[in-house]
Amino acid sequence: MYNFDAARKRSELLMNIRTYFIDKGYLEVSTPTLSPYLIPEPTIKTFGTRFVNEFEGSRDLYMIPSPEIFMKKLLAAGSGSIFQISQCFRNAEQLGDVHNPEFTMLEYYTVGADDRDSIAITMEMIEKTKLKGIEEPWLREKPLIISMHEAMLKYAGVDMDKAEDISYLREEAIRLGLEPGENESWDDTFNRIFLTYTEPSLPKDRQVYLTDYPDKIACLAKHSDGKPTKKRWEMYISGIEIANCYDEETDKEATRTYFSEEYRKMENERQGTEYVTPPYDPSFTDLSIPQSSGGAMGLDRLLAVHLGLNCIEPLLLFPLSDMLRQ
Amino acid sequence: MIKAGQIDKGTALLIKGQPFVCIEREFVNPGKGSAFVRLKLKSPSTGQVLSETMKSQDNAEDITVEDRDLQYLYNDGENFYFQNTETFDQIDVPMKSFPDYEYFMKEGETYRATFWEDQVLDITIPSKIVFTVAEAEEAVKGDTVQGATKYVTTETGLRVRVPIFIKQGEKIRVNTETKEYLERVNS
Repeated sequence: MYNFDAARKRSELLMNIRTYFIDKGYLEVSTPTLSPYLIPEPTIKTFGTRFVNEFEGSRDLYMIPSPEIFMKKLLAAGSGSIFQISQCFRNAEQLGDVHNPEFTMLEYYTVGADDRDSIAITMEMIEKTKLKGIEEPWLREKPLIISMHEAMLKYAGVDMDKAEDISYLREEAIRLGLEPGENESWDDTFNRIFLTYTEPSLPKDRQVYLTDYPDKIACLAKHSDGKPTKKRWEMYISGIEIANCYDEETDKEATRTYFSEEYRKMENERQGTEYVTPPYDPSFTDLSIPQSSGGAMGLDRLLAVHLGLNCIEPLLLFPLSDMLRQ
Repeated sequence: MIKAGQIDKGTALLIKGQPFVCIEREFVNPGKGSAFVRLKLKSPSTGQVLSETMKSQDNAEDITVEDRDLQYLYNDGENFYFQNTETFDQIDVPMKSFPDYEYFMKEGETYRATFWEDQVLDITIPSKIVFTVAEAEEAVKGDTVQGATKYVTTETGLRVRVPIFIKQGEKIRVNTETKEYLERVNS
């Protein structure tokens, strides 16, 4: 009933990853999974709960969708390069395939590095942490580094230089046979095209590092010089999104703007819904974050692709979908 | 109307006036983006498979379907012919819409079919079917290796790997999903 083989493989992978980062001089940290505030991210739905305190007043608390908020505080306080393997929580994610509302995430920050350095670090980490006796074909192929601009042109025929203009993007979506909604946001129309044509066409026989995401998609990555892109990449193996990485934003003003705009968006979208709107930590935007690159990697998914699977459920001892069926 | 996020395998939808059945569904949450679903939809009349990516919040037109039992009669290479077990109406279904189904269609066997109005959208094959071995290779003399196997062909043309003791004319139970031999059936 329980997949102990998979549990042993998971244990081996986690141990290898810990050894890799510790040998490289990273400090392993352990930060809370329960927090009174989070980084505003309108596309991530959060689990909320309540800390009950009869005498001093109760408070709402939230399960972290990633340990970023705490790890960046440590970076700003001079921790140096750090990593953490922790449980993370995302609400409203569908069950099955490569999703489980609770999952295991590796988050690693390299001080002094940028997003390009992180590609090299990630490739080396993947190579050095592979499982004994298992050599999936994708490990033998040279990883592909491709920009979003190139990928959108190659697989969807969309010119990202013109795509800042939403009417161009809409026309392209319609030309491609898609049906963007009337007042659809830039992000949604872009994702319609990206998810229908580009993402499914990315090579599946190797690691793919998809770089330079459009700056219209808000995130805490630095802006590229002179281009409408962000210093952000996502990594795919066997067509599954495994990791996300930024050259971390260090500009306090840019961070403040991100926080206020994203929080407002989140508040508007969630009004009258079941979704909670976690407050943000006002002191976060005053942090002096050093030049660093941060990666977040789904370890359930990484384990799955090492074992040649395209779903994570068989690797979880207690998948939520099973527990809910009982 | 339903939300695209509610579509599951087997959900029947109307797209540009044509019925489609969802055969694959995958949830996608792009990094920093809204939730989407990727669907593979099959047209029961042409067998054409459509790939659709929809936002989970997009509306989709679902259709009400009904299950009926059909008895399989025969095929002429183009259509499968069935008889409705209640009304005795004869129903034809284009074979190209259900590739490889001919290997599992046994004369006289009853199959559950999903209908939208008078159109068959889907046919459910029982998970186990008993077939007669129409052709069997002779076991090689002296081949006494434990667990040795050979191929046989059923009356429907399905090739199945079986233990060497299975002979022509015998009945075998087959798992229709994996096309694997399960056991010999003594008649």
